[in-house]
Amino acid sequence: MAYDVSNPLDGEFDLGRAGPFAPVWIATLRVVVGWWFFHAGVTKLIESGLNFTAGPGYLQGMSGTVLGPVAVWMATTMPGVIEAIVPLAETLIGLALIAGALVRLASFGGAIFMAFFWVGNAEFGHGVVNGDLMGLLLFVTLLVLGAGRYYGLDAVFERLELVENHPRLKHLLG
Amino acid sequence: MTDMIDKAAMALSSTLLLAGIVVLGVVEILDGVPYGAAPTTNEAGEVIAQPGIDPAIRTGLVLAGLAVLGLWGLYRVAVPATGVERRTADATAETQ
Repeated sequence: MAYDVSNPLDGEFDLGRAGPFAPVWIATLRVVVGWWFFHAGVTKLIESGLNFTAGPGYLQGMSGTVLGPVAVWMATTMPGVIEAIVPLAETLIGLALIAGALVRLASFGGAIFMAFFWVGNAEFGHGVVNGDLMGLLLFVTLLVLGAGRYYGLDAVFERLELVENHPRLKHLLG
Repeated sequence: MTDMIDKAAMALSSTLLLAGIVVLGVVEILDGVPYGAAPTTNEAGEVIAQPGIDPAIRTGLVLAGLAVLGLWGLYRVAVPATGVERRTADATAETQ
């Protein structure tokens, strides 16, 4: 534990002082973020199935940004995969967050998505600190907090014998 | 040694995030119009003023900070916390 008496700002940190509402709020936040992605994904599935052709075009348009080389490479080498994975992953990430299952893995995926949305969207007409960055930080927050443990299925999964015998699986849960 | 890596990763990731968002944000304001990251255009759509800081620099710093956080997570998967650290964390969780 970090505790340095010479620095009044450096104390021992825990969430105990956040009060009893904190776990409920974390779970609520998780479900709302999950609905956000589930809605984005499932509506794409309804409208275009696994042929979301705007996906590769979007990545091509990221040329010149900090993620441009990766985005253009993905769009040119695996356009079919991108067309399928965007609606599918958005839907599954959303469902995982709503259920609280594999939340850290799902949040990691969501953060990757939001990194591409943040860097590629609208040329920062609303500034660098915009809604897309906040969405990206929401996913990182859920990942760091292990939000699936609060009223989520990850709390159940972590008690399974499989997870008890393979503790590294806990890094994907919570 | 492990504790040093934890602290270094957290300090580096936070520093990169805050440098990209807050520090360069202040620099951008001090640099004058435009105060945002998008160029200013006239009614004809011609660019008349560029932001002081290239958005690629700011986004790059933030993504680098998040990448450090991710690498630290991978490190923690490979090298789990020691028994003492885990017991401390468990004790903290039980008090909540």
